[in-house]
Amino acid sequence: MSIQLSITNVTKLYPTGEGVKDINIDVRHGELVTLLGPSGCGKTTVLRSAGGFIDPDEGEITITGESVVNIPPEKRPTAMVFQSYNLWPHMTVEDNLAFSLKLKKMKKREWKEKVCWALALVQLSGTEKKHPSELSGGQQQRIALARALLLQPKVLLLDEPFSALDAKLRLELREQVREIQAREQLTMLFVTHDQEEALSISDRIVVMNKGKIEQMATPQHIYNDPASLFVAQFIGRMNFLKGEAAGNALTIGPLSLPNVKHLSGEVTVGVRPEDVVIANGKGQGIPAKVTKVMMLGHYAEVTLHTFLGVLKMFIDRNDIDHYQLNMGIAVTFTKVKSFNGQQVQMKKEEISL
Amino acid sequence: MSELAVERKTKKPRLNWSKKTKRSILGVSMVLPSFLLLLVLVIYPVALSVMESFKSRDGMWTLDNYLYLFTEPHMLNNIKHTLQVTVLSSVFVLTIAYSIAVYLRFNHSWIAKMVGKLYFIPMFIPGVIAIYGFINFYRDNGWIARLIGEGNLPSIIYDMKGLLMINIWFNIPFTTMLLVSAMSSIPNAVIESAKDAGAKKRHLFFQFIFPLTYKTMLVALTFLFMGIVGSFTAPFLIDRNAPQMLGVAMQQHFSSYNEIGQASSMAVFLFLLCSFVGYFYIRSNMKDSTKSY
Repeated sequence: MSIQLSITNVTKLYPTGEGVKDINIDVRHGELVTLLGPSGCGKTTVLRSAGGFIDPDEGEITITGESVVNIPPEKRPTAMVFQSYNLWPHMTVEDNLAFSLKLKKMKKREWKEKVCWALALVQLSGTEKKHPSELSGGQQQRIALARALLLQPKVLLLDEPFSALDAKLRLELREQVREIQAREQLTMLFVTHDQEEALSISDRIVVMNKGKIEQMATPQHIYNDPASLFVAQFIGRMNFLKGEAAGNALTIGPLSLPNVKHLSGEVTVGVRPEDVVIANGKGQGIPAKVTKVMMLGHYAEVTLHTFLGVLKMFIDRNDIDHYQLNMGIAVTFTKVKSFNGQQVQMKKEEISL
Repeated sequence: MSELAVERKTKKPRLNWSKKTKRSILGVSMVLPSFLLLLVLVIYPVALSVMESFKSRDGMWTLDNYLYLFTEPHMLNNIKHTLQVTVLSSVFVLTIAYSIAVYLRFNHSWIAKMVGKLYFIPMFIPGVIAIYGFINFYRDNGWIARLIGEGNLPSIIYDMKGLLMINIWFNIPFTTMLLVSAMSSIPNAVIESAKDAGAKKRHLFFQFIFPLTYKTMLVALTFLFMGIVGSFTAPFLIDRNAPQMLGVAMQQHFSSYNEIGQASSMAVFLFLLCSFVGYFYIRSNMKDSTKSY
């Protein structure tokens, strides 16, 4: 499919030294691409550059092949949904939705029809005469989405649109947006710091850190094969252990695994909790002591103490009875990822939100 | 008022009488101090003034004081002058303060930052000092006149021009502060989403900034009107001798001519004028509170 939005070598540095450097992202027509990263990583800067609210220092942004760098936001073929305060508080829902249509000198019958269509799309028909303050947060964001859609943007930009909502609503809206996006073949650039949100709705995820792109790939690929230690830490849960790489072998305590990446010296090994399993043959696994078993719904989390450090392990909830506190077991890993260098300490809120 | 309502409600059903009575007594006793204060310091003197305004010098009931106020040519001129100064000052102050507020909201240059720091300085200069400084500066043989040559400066002091200028000086800080806070309560997302939807500068102002701040503007206007219409120091020291603003005329009638009834009638008139403006302010507040934003 054709490329709808192309961001090439975009650099924007703030006086504080923060910003983004050499960002290259192509978004195809009908694709939902998510910019994911911790706060301050520059994802919003990229989005706002695309929307025209920030002038990049360098680089080119094109929409369907035409440069938009010098076009102000009111003339760009983009529409943006903000984190909050999206709706104009002094106007009714109908006025909010019809504003851009009236600016285009559309006839009343026509814009009424369009407003109706947009409200039906976000399942809020009948709220025309209400003021934003009479709607819930979720409803307001849906109206904001409808208003953005009425602009018929070539690219729809969403800046953490659900982050101010509670978890359940977030899930619902996320699904709804994905549905509308798929049905209307919309091209979307979506900013979030919630990795779960990114994994669930994106066609592709761009993981950013400190103004640079760490990895750009499908959610599956990013989860299964994180390109860097940062991505591994940021996406999903992962245990990190110290290992030693030499020749063809990767040694983690008593375990010896193939050295796929041909690293050497001290390495950090990442293991997803679901890839930690009970070792069958005796003497082959890492000895561990069960210190905590937590039921988490359709699975359970077991915390293990080993001489390599604390390990988290996911087990089937039906097997929960097999694990007792202070029980000694031996574990091995079905799949590991190895990275050069030391694990970076991240703040807790940056890892899982 | 709510206390009265509570009491009325409690008396009818006569359930848990003692507990509810206790509560309403507590309620009344909490309102009582401020009510008494209001009674002694406001309601009683106001009532006294109103009564005074209907009395002649020998204590008889009469309408003469009002007749004097509304038929005597120089009093009519005073009223006209008072309204003129008040309306003109309010319009000037509001226009300037609104422009400053818009500028401060949307401009982030160092000049804007300076203006943002400087605009409330007049608030910290005592009124009389500011007025004497102002007179020294602008009077016909003041500093400016000496700089540009006497006779080149239109007369500002002992003229309405000077009064308008000093009113602007005194009222800009507070009005601007009110409006700046109204402006800064417009979230950036509102402005940006309006731009995103295609709004040009003109649309931004008339369809977003103005409607979102006009309520505060109304409040500011009310304050301005009430503050200026009854002002005394500035018109007393700066304005010419005739026509006078009502505040000055009132003082003269009271202490120089010893016409307490006439002074009272002016006070009542000013009071009604302010109540009228206040009524509009309260009404617009009540009307909009249903769709609060």
